[in-house]
Amino acid sequence: MLIELGALKNELPALEGRSVQEICELLAGLGFPVDGVEAHGGTHVLEVDITANRGDAQSHRGMARDLAARLGAPLAPVDAAPLAEGEPLLPIRLEAGEIGPLYATAVLELGEAAGTPGDVKAFLAALGAGAKDLPAVDASNELLHRYGHPSHAFDADRIQGHLAVRWAREGETLVTLDGVERKLTPRDLLIADAAGPVALAGVMGGESTKVTESTRRVLLESAWFEPRTVRAMAHRHGLHTDASHRFGRGADPAMATVARDLLARRLEAWAGARLKGAWTVGAVPAPKAPIPLATALVDRVAGQPVEPARAAGLLRALGCTVEASEGGWKVLPPTWRHDLTIPEDLAEEVLRLIGYDGIPAVLPPLDSSPAPLDPGYLKRRKLALRLANLGFHQTVTLGFQDPQEAQDGHAMGDDPALRTLGNPLGEDYSLMRGTLLRSLDAVARLNLERGAREVRFFEIAPVFRATPEGLTETWTLGLVWGGELGGEDPLTPVRRLGGPEGRSHLLGVLKALGVPEAAVAGFQRWELTGWEAGSKVVLGWHFEIPLAALPDEGERVIAKFKPFSRFPVVERDLSLLVDLGQAHAPLQAAMAAAVDGAPLQDLRCVDVFRHKSLPQGRQAWLMRLRFQAMDRTLTGEEVDGWVQAALAAAKGMGAEQRA
Amino acid sequence: METTLLPPEIEEARQAFPAALAACGDLDALLRLKGAYVGRDGSHAARLMELLKAAPKEQKRELGAASNALKNAWEEALKARQAELEEARRNAAAQASGWDPTLPPPMPAGGALHPLNRLMDRLVDVFRPLGYHVEEGPEAETEEHNFDGLNIPEDHPARGSADTFYFRQGGGLLLRTHTSPVQVRVLKRIGAKGSDGLSELERTGGIRFLAPGRVYRKDEIDPTHSPMFHQVEGMLVGKGIGMQHLKGTLSYAMKALFGPGADVRFRPSYFPFVEPGAEMDVRCPLCGGSGCRVCKGSGWVELLGAGLIHPNVLAYAGIDPAVWSGFAFGMGVERTAMMVSQTPDLRLFFENDQRFLKTMGGLD
Repeated sequence: MLIELGALKNELPALEGRSVQEICELLAGLGFPVDGVEAHGGTHVLEVDITANRGDAQSHRGMARDLAARLGAPLAPVDAAPLAEGEPLLPIRLEAGEIGPLYATAVLELGEAAGTPGDVKAFLAALGAGAKDLPAVDASNELLHRYGHPSHAFDADRIQGHLAVRWAREGETLVTLDGVERKLTPRDLLIADAAGPVALAGVMGGESTKVTESTRRVLLESAWFEPRTVRAMAHRHGLHTDASHRFGRGADPAMATVARDLLARRLEAWAGARLKGAWTVGAVPAPKAPIPLATALVDRVAGQPVEPARAAGLLRALGCTVEASEGGWKVLPPTWRHDLTIPEDLAEEVLRLIGYDGIPAVLPPLDSSPAPLDPGYLKRRKLALRLANLGFHQTVTLGFQDPQEAQDGHAMGDDPALRTLGNPLGEDYSLMRGTLLRSLDAVARLNLERGAREVRFFEIAPVFRATPEGLTETWTLGLVWGGELGGEDPLTPVRRLGGPEGRSHLLGVLKALGVPEAAVAGFQRWELTGWEAGSKVVLGWHFEIPLAALPDEGERVIAKFKPFSRFPVVERDLSLLVDLGQAHAPLQAAMAAAVDGAPLQDLRCVDVFRHKSLPQGRQAWLMRLRFQAMDRTLTGEEVDGWVQAALAAAKGMGAEQRA
Repeated sequence: METTLLPPEIEEARQAFPAALAACGDLDALLRLKGAYVGRDGSHAARLMELLKAAPKEQKRELGAASNALKNAWEEALKARQAELEEARRNAAAQASGWDPTLPPPMPAGGALHPLNRLMDRLVDVFRPLGYHVEEGPEAETEEHNFDGLNIPEDHPARGSADTFYFRQGGGLLLRTHTSPVQVRVLKRIGAKGSDGLSELERTGGIRFLAPGRVYRKDEIDPTHSPMFHQVEGMLVGKGIGMQHLKGTLSYAMKALFGPGADVRFRPSYFPFVEPGAEMDVRCPLCGGSGCRVCKGSGWVELLGAGLIHPNVLAYAGIDPAVWSGFAFGMGVERTAMMVSQTPDLRLFFENDQRFLKTMGGLD
């Protein structure tokens, strides 16, 4: 809220002579950080951030009260000469019990209006609330900002019969001051006369009874309404007014008659008004029971022993009634502090006035054993680091998905309707994603469009699945690799990842991560696609897998020792001619099976050669065999025997040795 | 240069120098020339120094300046020629080996962790020595965990569909708006009595954990808002815990995170799930406290919200607030990352431009 410095100093003369900076620091120290300071015609206006629990602080007086308690300085008296109350001039009925328990009013006849004084207009202008030059309206507004109590003035001649504070009836309507017709419900609290609603209680007055330039008699309202009810009404009608803001966060019921008196006195002074009658219906709600507060609690919360007399003094400075009792006090908060309900609230108040700067900084004793880090968390963290070291960039993308894109993205038994949001930001953000690949592909394409030659991304995030049993979130790894690899130096030839062989690069990474072969074999839709010159092309490859399917490191700090041979490795290469349609895995398996029992360490194709010089329909594979025994040096003869056996197996599958 | 001051033999050497320098075909020849001209003993420069010492007083100044200039000129020319010869030797070596080592080498692939993950991991590392472990919870949460258990009133505006995403399937299932529901889950777990009649809390005597994670609020995407963002929540439960412990812990953590010079301040604030509540500011990293756009002139930037756990939150989880106490704190990861790195736009974190990730992420 906005605070005009001059008005603040009026409430707390001790601020006189303090700099704006100093006052801002004081306010921040009390829990009211200043978000901005603006010079405004010889004064300063502070934009003060007030937390939702402090309805009482929503005014210059309220701010000054906390500052006064902090500085131990007195507040200026409220200059309200009380009105003499008399018989009601019209009946006022309180029909909503404790929701609207108090209604102070007065009727005044306006004289030849002199108008709103210039200094009040300037005050309101500084707060961005332009004066209307209707003294009843301007005075009510000024009092709200100065003292925090909302009040209202009706054109008394437009009130019919009586007034009632009552719940609305189904079907009733009210045109509020902003000209909007409001449909009312039985949860709306009204001020109504004999003809119907005249105001939404604590929120906004009605158009038909508003004060205008032709108003001769005004009826003042200064009441108190229960915060929750006002908040709900303001929310329901989208009417967040100065009044609803203050009643909604808790106004001071004891201020109702005082604000009425102040308002009437201003009208006498500014508009030559003559009081026709003043009266109050109902009463300030009875205070709740005092809160017991133990000195030990204050000491614990504050982190230091607080002299009991000092603690009690600080609470009294805030307006609390403090009575000593066994081991502490019984504390009755003032009528304006609805937020003080439990002992911890009071301990906080003591500490707040001492100042959070004064809290010592102490590390808590480590008196319980620390738990180990969660293996799931560690696994994700290590995996991310591993992938970053393998050249992948970690992404963070939003967890939403466009249902239009989701047709192919959900697993068996998953029901996308169950992971759909009821109030999304937009249709394309309405589904919680069932795959990371859509997001990763979009990131890859964006980077390629922006001129990246090669894109390597991964994300580790939960993926949503909805089954009749409920919504599950599965930590999942997604990877994408596309664009062009190499070609940036004379030793690394350029390779287009979009080609069919490009997937092998990604497969190597999956192998290195220990992705089970079955997961690779069962995976579908590998292609990262994009559009080039109007046609769909493969730009690279992607893959995703639940983290649970990746191997765990196990409990051991270091893996169990596995013996290795200290004897020489014998390496033999076999150049084979095989059909173009021959698959590597079965041929490799057949050759390996043929040397079953031999100390074969490795057998694999290390080169593929395709050329028109080769026989039609054939290609050349260089197969490398590695032998090594644990217990001896192998002889040339035995290795030759194994190589021949492997060759025979290859021949059995249609291969021949290349000359 | 006033050459007339120089003795004839030096003047001769001066004139011969350029040709002699050009004639040096290798480093050895150059070293010999260097010795003859500027070496410590017997060189032309040394001879000049001797002459200078012996010169009459009135000539000293002028002769000194001339000899210094000459010596400097020789030294510089020798140095430049030496660099040329060394370069030539390298090139010759490259040619002899058949490969030029100054060609661009193949670079190992370099990836990067995302800066938001780096910051969250760093926070875990910072709190690890204090005995904190990591707790997590689901993103799809119940109203009970997200609001009820945190002492958030039933009519609180944050519960509204203007602020919180709710699933269409109903039942109050929502996307968590903060990492605090992890508090509720953990407190319920450690407060539940086991078969031995003791709760985990009673058996262990306390708990301390961090809960990093993704959270959602119904904000349109703009330079400072995103419907999904990250928080790191921290909580400690024990006996006799007060604000001094919160302050001690966070002061340590901020120094560990921002360096020993980090300046922080505590001020009162309000969150329904703590009492007392506090906010912690750090001295503005951009202006150092003198006031700027980032800190709105105040010299301080808000970094996190914190406080002692509200007794209602403990009681809701079945933990007796008369016996147990603790503190909690929560930090916005994007906000902190933006502040630390002076990233101008929050959307950059979710756009994932490889260039951004390379410079901001790196490895840890």
